[in-house]
Amino acid sequence: MTLSFFDQFMSPTYLGIPLIAVALTLPWILFPTPSARWLNNRLITLQGWFINRFTQQLLLPLNLGGHKWAALLTSLMLFLITLNMLGLLPYTFTPTTQLSLNMGLAVPLWLATVIIGMRNQPTAALGHLLPEGTPVPLIPVLIIIETISLFIRPALGVRLTANLTAGHQLIATAAFVLLPMMPTVAILTSIVLFLLTLLEIAVAMIQAYVFVLLLSLYLQENV
Amino acid sequence: DLLRLCLISKSACLPRLVQLSHLHTSPNSQAPVPALPEKGGKTRHGIIPEEIFQLLYPKTGVTGPYMLGAGLLTYILSKEIYIINHETFAAACMGTVIIYGVRKFGPDVAAFADKLNEEKVQKAQEVKDLAMTSLAQAVLDEKKEQWRAEGRQMLFDAKRNNVAMLLETNRRERVHMVTNEVKKRLDYQIALQTLHRRMEQEHMVNWVEKNVVTSITPQQEKTSIAKCITDLKVLAKVQQAKATV
Repeated sequence: MTLSFFDQFMSPTYLGIPLIAVALTLPWILFPTPSARWLNNRLITLQGWFINRFTQQLLLPLNLGGHKWAALLTSLMLFLITLNMLGLLPYTFTPTTQLSLNMGLAVPLWLATVIIGMRNQPTAALGHLLPEGTPVPLIPVLIIIETISLFIRPALGVRLTANLTAGHQLIATAAFVLLPMMPTVAILTSIVLFLLTLLEIAVAMIQAYVFVLLLSLYLQENV
Repeated sequence: DLLRLCLISKSACLPRLVQLSHLHTSPNSQAPVPALPEKGGKTRHGIIPEEIFQLLYPKTGVTGPYMLGAGLLTYILSKEIYIINHETFAAACMGTVIIYGVRKFGPDVAAFADKLNEEKVQKAQEVKDLAMTSLAQAVLDEKKEQWRAEGRQMLFDAKRNNVAMLLETNRRERVHMVTNEVKKRLDYQIALQTLHRRMEQEHMVNWVEKNVVTSITPQQEKTSIAKCITDLKVLAKVQQAKATV
């Protein structure tokens, strides 16, 4: 069972069954359903506290129309964080390294914010294309630039894919190089590996958060 | 909860999915829930449950499970069921970081979770304590009011005395007034009588004087004047005699 570098990114199938579905749904069992008790065990308490705090912080800059997105954004955040963190374990497959998944999340959500903005307040939505206080000769150029910037926003998904893929790949490469190495040099490489691990843990959490944050930002502009 | 809200709203608009409102409708779901255990299961080295060690102790003693673990590991490696590749190193690194993280921050996180629950309990306890103190205070107040109510006879007596005194005062005032009025009437009568007497006396004196004056005849007048002159001469003589002596 030798592994090549990129085996970790191949979408796993078994006898024709795409196991990515399992990889996407099984992490759900890690989050226990809040029980009917008043005082719960530590896991449920922490989970409830975290979800409440996160949602509260996320919804602070949004007005009332944006609060409809609370469940969606919080569940998206939990989903991404779980997938990212579980993917750091050895021999696991990270679904968020697949561009298809991330674009499948980013494009519809971004498009939803744009359409909501265009439907409910078209003037304000189009007004975002021209920042305040621009000198008059720059206006045509700036509008083109802002339109391009608007349409490049689905790069949300690309950002997530790229970050996670790069991180995993770096860890795999550092570990692979570590295998046949002399012990003296191996120490340096293992330090690199250790630091990369720390970075990956941080990146896993941060990227999920950034995804949701930017989405909420786009929502804030348009809702 | 947010998730439950989503699920319930989903069940309302998509009837072809599982009807989530049909779950948990029997009275079984309302039975009292058994208490949660205080602590989680005991583990050795963080992962392996203590029960494995207890299970193997009768047959293999204390080192049994460790030998099992070492033997399994050797078997897996030597038979190449598990091959050491780059993922092993990545796993070793990740394992180190995870174990370090759990050992260092585990107790703090657990204490935080316990604190959250503790605050919940404390809030409810505060309400309960406040209710209890206020009720105890209410009981004391009620007892005080009952004690106060026992003295109502004294209050009534005092009030009755008050009223009696007022009435007595009033009566005495009136008696006093009556006495004064009667005395005034009697004084008037006395004054009237003295006036009468004085007037009668004056009248009589006047009448007597008038009669005396009218009864003095001119003969009497002459004789009296002559007598007076002779008396005066005698007196003058006596006086002259006294003066020369």
